Amino acid sequence: MHAEDLLTASPTPEAVAAEVARLPPPSPEALEALRRKLESSEQAPVEREWPPVLQAPRNKKDSRYVEPATSHRPVVGPALVLAKRAFRLAFQPFINEVLRRQVEFNEAILDSLATLYEHQQVQARTQALWRKEVEERLARLEGQRD
Amino acid sequence: MSILRSKRPAGPLAVRAVHQLVPRLAWGDAVGNQARYLRELLRSWGYASEIYAEQWDEECREQVRPAKDYPREADADSALLIHHSFESRLVPLVARSPGRKALVYHNVTPARLFEGFERKVAEACTAAREELLALRPLVECAYAYSGFSAEELVAAGLPHVAVLPFAMDWHAFDTPPEPVLRAELADGCANVLFVGRAVPHKRVDDVLRAFTAYQRLYQPRSRLVVAGYLNRETPYGGYLHGLRDALGPERVLFLGRVSAGQLSACFATATAYLSMSRHEGFGVPLLEAMHRGVPVVAYGAAAVPETMGGAGLTTLSRDPVEVAGLLAVVERNAGLRGQVLEAQRARLAALGQDAVATRWKQALRPFLEGTLEAPRASVSPAPVDLVCPALGPRPDSDMARLARRVAEKLGRARVLTLRPGVPSPLPAPEVESTGGVETWRFTPDEPLSREPSAELPGASSLETAVVGSAAVPVLLGVETASARELLARVPSRVWGVGDTALPDSSRAEARRRLGTRLLELKPSQPDATATRLAELLARPGEAHAR
Repeated sequence: MHAEDLLTASPTPEAVAAEVARLPPPSPEALEALRRKLESSEQAPVEREWPPVLQAPRNKKDSRYVEPATSHRPVVGPALVLAKRAFRLAFQPFINEVLRRQVEFNEAILDSLATLYEHQQVQARTQALWRKEVEERLARLEGQRD
Repeated sequence: MSILRSKRPAGPLAVRAVHQLVPRLAWGDAVGNQARYLRELLRSWGYASEIYAEQWDEECREQVRPAKDYPREADADSALLIHHSFESRLVPLVARSPGRKALVYHNVTPARLFEGFERKVAEACTAAREELLALRPLVECAYAYSGFSAEELVAAGLPHVAVLPFAMDWHAFDTPPEPVLRAELADGCANVLFVGRAVPHKRVDDVLRAFTAYQRLYQPRSRLVVAGYLNRETPYGGYLHGLRDALGPERVLFLGRVSAGQLSACFATATAYLSMSRHEGFGVPLLEAMHRGVPVVAYGAAAVPETMGGAGLTTLSRDPVEVAGLLAVVERNAGLRGQVLEAQRARLAALGQDAVATRWKQALRPFLEGTLEAPRASVSPAPVDLVCPALGPRPDSDMARLARRVAEKLGRARVLTLRPGVPSPLPAPEVESTGGVETWRFTPDEPLSREPSAELPGASSLETAVVGSAAVPVLLGVETASARELLARVPSRVWGVGDTALPDSSRAEARRRLGTRLLELKPSQPDATATRLAELLARPGEAHAR
């Protein structure tokens, strides 16, 4: 323990650091084993971005608005597009109201899926940690048997 | 924001009613307790005072009025204290409410501390910081409970920022210990206690690691008691249970929510209180432990050093083995333990009810009497914000050199960096002007590591200053925690420089977001990078057009 890492007025940082230094030192093997275990338990860096499996539903969660109207028909196409745009423009407030609860549901289900995804990731990391721990214990036991 | 466009009412005006607005009035949480305390204080000073909330616990039904009624019930003689600690979605209601307004800031947990566990909460934290900036033109002044929080308010550009003492109702801790739990815990084991919700930023996992080290190295007959809400169905709750099994310490008790009597039993039998929290706007349980005569060992992140005030054992190290050593000396050395407890009692003496009430009255008086000066029109800010966290703590690093060279070439810029050294409570960023260059130094959210290669911690105040500014932000070091946050929050107007000495993968996200606005710093050619960047930023309209 470094005294400069302590913010304490009474007792002084130096006195605390000296007391820590006076503690009975643990065996190097025990300390090393403990440090290995603690380091392996540290959480791995995580991606900030949404996982790809949830990216598509996330992009589509707001069902009130759709892609811009298009048409492949050569002659009536522009008229259809114009009609679709006019319909959207005129009725968008009503569409919003009709689909409001659907959007709320989409958001809620996406949140739940994200929670499940993160839960699954955490469980996978924990299981990997466990597997490593069990393998190390097995190796120790086999070493003692030999 | 110019004064002409400000929505703040003009002219001095004393108020007759002072109300409070909280998103949720909960029973027993820090914000709710402060709101209730303040309401009684305001009533004792002769003001009408109510608490308005959008949601509330069932136990608080009699204490609260619906927030939606405030705009109708308030008038020009009313004042509103807006408590802000999380996303509230109440800014539009505040904007259309009559009367005068002030902000009471409890701080918002940085979103990065929830990553990997609570995506929705992380987004809500970012939204809460956006709301802080949205409240800026609506309030006349702002109050914080720590210098750490006040610094962010100043960085956000809020007017008349002041630090208030946290009001504690010490009598609430006088509940007798519940006898059954007390008997269970008082079995001769050394009990290490943590009190708080099991959420990622409280780092209960670090508490588990430090306790594991303590039990393995120093005290096999020890127990960890975690008292506070823990949901095993959340990712973090599941992680904690898995970690406990993997680390394998014995006698770890996750008590979940406890009653006042059970909490008293936990404190009455505790050998030490341990906090490894990465973020506290204040940290009430630390003072509660002091009040109940339990020595405190705490990691000195965010406002924790201020709350501890030199009492207890605050460590800047997160190493579980070193923290275990502190727990061991507190348990074994009666003399040192006595000194720690004495210092903790002295710390609490400054937080007596009368002293706190007096300081609250002094701080609130200018707002309540309408004698606050109108905010000064700000001088034209620098057009470029050079964000270089390394400049303060690592002035000889390549990025720090680049920051100085770019600033020299631009002639007019603001440089934002971290404050080096031991965390010390300052209610505003340190500002130093040289020519046309201003250097702003901000308190990091966590202590700086002694390891020169360790990643620099983020700084919420620095990030808020950049997001709240109209200048073009340039991230000198896109690999830092603050740069990652800013890349997500202001992706359309930010420029960046990556360090080629670091792995290419660390710049992948920045490359994707910035495209051609990302430059690379080759340590052998710093001048070329500085010149190129200065040219790009100096081109009329070039930086702003993007």
